[in-house]
Amino acid sequence: MTEGLFAGYDHDAFFDEVFTRDGEIRPHYRALVARLGLFSADELSRRERLRDAAFRTQGITFTVYGEGEGVERTFPMDLIPRIIPADEWAEVERGLVQRVDALNRFLDDLYVGEQAIIHDGIVPKWMVLSSDGFEREATGLSVPHSSRCVVAGIDLVRDVDGVYRVLEDNLRNPSGISYVLENRAAMTRVLSLAFKDHRVRSVDHYGAMLLGALQHVAPPAAGDDPTVVVLTPGVYNSAYFEHAFLARQMGVELVEGRDLVVDDHIVSMRTTHGLRRVDVIYRRIDDAFLDPVVFRPDSQLGVPGLMAAARAGNVTIANAAGNGVADDKAIYAFVPDIIRYYTGEEPILESVPTYLLDDPDHRAEVLDRLGDLVVKPVAESGGYGMLIGPAATEAEIDEFRGKLEADPRGYIAQEVVSLSRHPTLIDDHLEGRHIDLRPFVISGEKIEVVPGGLTRVALRRGSLVVNSSQGGGSKDTWVLAPERDPRRPGDRSEGADRERVEGDPRETAQLPVVRADDADAGEEPSP
Amino acid sequence: MMLSRHAESLFWLGRYLERAEYSTRMLDVTYHSLLESAAWESERAWRDLLQVLRSESGFDKTGSPATSEHVNRFVMIDRANSDSVSACIERARENARSVRELIPTELWQSLNSFYLALNQRDLAVDLAEQPYDLYEMVKQRCQTVSGVLSDTMARDDGWRFVTIGRHLERAQVMCRLLAIRYQNLGDVSFHQWLAALKSASAAEAFRKAYRGSQDPAEVIEFLLLSPVFPRSVFFSLRHAEAELDILGAQFGRVTRPQRLLGRIRAGLEFAEIEELLHDDLRLHLVEVESDIRWVAESVALEYFRNSHEFAPFVPTGPAPVGTKGR
Repeated sequence: MTEGLFAGYDHDAFFDEVFTRDGEIRPHYRALVARLGLFSADELSRRERLRDAAFRTQGITFTVYGEGEGVERTFPMDLIPRIIPADEWAEVERGLVQRVDALNRFLDDLYVGEQAIIHDGIVPKWMVLSSDGFEREATGLSVPHSSRCVVAGIDLVRDVDGVYRVLEDNLRNPSGISYVLENRAAMTRVLSLAFKDHRVRSVDHYGAMLLGALQHVAPPAAGDDPTVVVLTPGVYNSAYFEHAFLARQMGVELVEGRDLVVDDHIVSMRTTHGLRRVDVIYRRIDDAFLDPVVFRPDSQLGVPGLMAAARAGNVTIANAAGNGVADDKAIYAFVPDIIRYYTGEEPILESVPTYLLDDPDHRAEVLDRLGDLVVKPVAESGGYGMLIGPAATEAEIDEFRGKLEADPRGYIAQEVVSLSRHPTLIDDHLEGRHIDLRPFVISGEKIEVVPGGLTRVALRRGSLVVNSSQGGGSKDTWVLAPERDPRRPGDRSEGADRERVEGDPRETAQLPVVRADDADAGEEPSP
Repeated sequence: MMLSRHAESLFWLGRYLERAEYSTRMLDVTYHSLLESAAWESERAWRDLLQVLRSESGFDKTGSPATSEHVNRFVMIDRANSDSVSACIERARENARSVRELIPTELWQSLNSFYLALNQRDLAVDLAEQPYDLYEMVKQRCQTVSGVLSDTMARDDGWRFVTIGRHLERAQVMCRLLAIRYQNLGDVSFHQWLAALKSASAAEAFRKAYRGSQDPAEVIEFLLLSPVFPRSVFFSLRHAEAELDILGAQFGRVTRPQRLLGRIRAGLEFAEIEELLHDDLRLHLVEVESDIRWVAESVALEYFRNSHEFAPFVPTGPAPVGTKGR
């Protein structure tokens, strides 16, 4: 396929999601490529405009800092969806469940267990204690059913052979799920016909799934109908849209710190009926701001006494405080062993080869090869503060050499993973752009994964950085349902003729025929 | 039951929407009625409008003469005016954003697209060249938002706070409008009473009810006391009161805002119009207006401030005689 939108499409050197190395279309993409062939470039750009207008009106925006007054931006969604076949997804899903299960057990072992994994010499004690994410304040603080990561976002990439590898774990406040749901909603409006050729698994049960998990981790005393709230830093936070979105999806209150009070170790919210008890807080603020009594005393965002209330077992904070130790990028190197230790199984998902710098031999080797490696600060997220060796200047490499020597625990080095590429609409044609995938894993009664997740795409040519704060966009991610799925819905047209529209009986005149074109997004691409 | 902060946001959402709409209506009516008036009437009319909107001192600080151009710009877009129409829409949107998860998506979208549409236009140019289009656009968008509001929002406490906010705001401005017109009764032509009716979108309803009357007393009676016209002071107060009653019933007691508002409403409901006109009506209207402001203040104390940190006292068993009903 080298004509039309795909003219000049270059698919060598990287793993391409759509094309094999020989330029063949992979089977699960054939219907989509055929469908896209029906669209003219003009038609696609018309639909892009529709999409942009829809996102702006809906206020699906994030706030960009450092550009004068906080600017509201939309997160660009590429119109070409990413497709994952059923069997491929099943394997990824098993790997994610296994990984999050092990990480939950690891955290519980560290904070309320006997730290057996340290005593057994799997993870060095100093490595845990020196982690910025390790919170002494969380020691002895148990979480019902040990679901310390109620929501985990595990970033996956595919290497040059198409093998899925975990790039990093996000166990504190992973964001992005709102885009998964909103992207799907937007795609069904602007490119609805493409869905007809596939059986795409839905994602819109996320709210119910999350609420179920949060209620599951409520303190036992809360009874059958625990009160769940979402805690946000407020309307000026960059992810405020998502916080409001989640509260709406779950039908629970969105609170700020100032709406909550703690009295006698009971957390309540201020309502028009006085104080109302709260059982579970899905917090979207960082540990450091949760409770000025134990963490940063200058925090205006948190609630004084919250940690003590949690410790008294009167409220559950989700995700638990102190999860940062397990997504520390140096601990990442131990996760395969952590999985083996707690589950007795081999890890299903591959990792990226990672070098710790405390070992003098490793450090010397890494310093030698800085130009070939990626260096990341262990406690950062959002793609800040990284060195990408192959793309860096001599001066940048020298600067990092100094940093690594001064603070070896503060950094790790990894082999460069050449992220897979996916056709992406650039102006009037398609070009390959690097993508990753952030699936969302929910730990409630059982550990579940939302089909797919957020596919982020590096919109700049050649860039490997997909973070929204760094010029990334996203794609709708389609996980295909297995063949012969018993959940297949019945014929939708059934019963349609039985319905009658009531009308004014005096009205006998023929209604004028409405022209459908130009009136809406349009189902059919115009010729 | 809802968060106090959310209740307050919804209350102000209602007030700002109402404020944006009537400010625009008054600009529209004043602007167009002046096209047929003598030049000397112009400054007076603009000054009256500023008084009704309680913007006169703010306007005077700008040092501009009260001409159509300057007043329009001040009321519509001036950054120095915190109650300008564009500021009201911006704040209504901010309030909606902070209760985003409580209000219907369609409501948020209609308000957000209103805000975006307003920001896309060069309002200064619109005002200078074709103010009618701008007035129409703002009025229609406001009506769209209130249509979506009443068609999609569940009749829960959130709805009640929006409604109370809107109706108190509406009653207040109508009192001020009548007071200022009445103050100049002697030299107010019926043309100007007609303008007052028009700015409440009441001219047609008035004609239907009073069959071509040109009596200012009947205009006042209509705008103040009509039980059927949705912008009359009495109608607005009764609607706000009905919502306050439902809120209060959940506590099993008569709340302070209910008592205050009930008294004002009864004063109007059982008054004879001759009696009102005979007394100093202007003074009376000023008093009613300031009493309504007290109602708004007591709603805030009862429901938003929540200064008493613990659940309000709810009597068990039947309420004592004399605390319920009227």
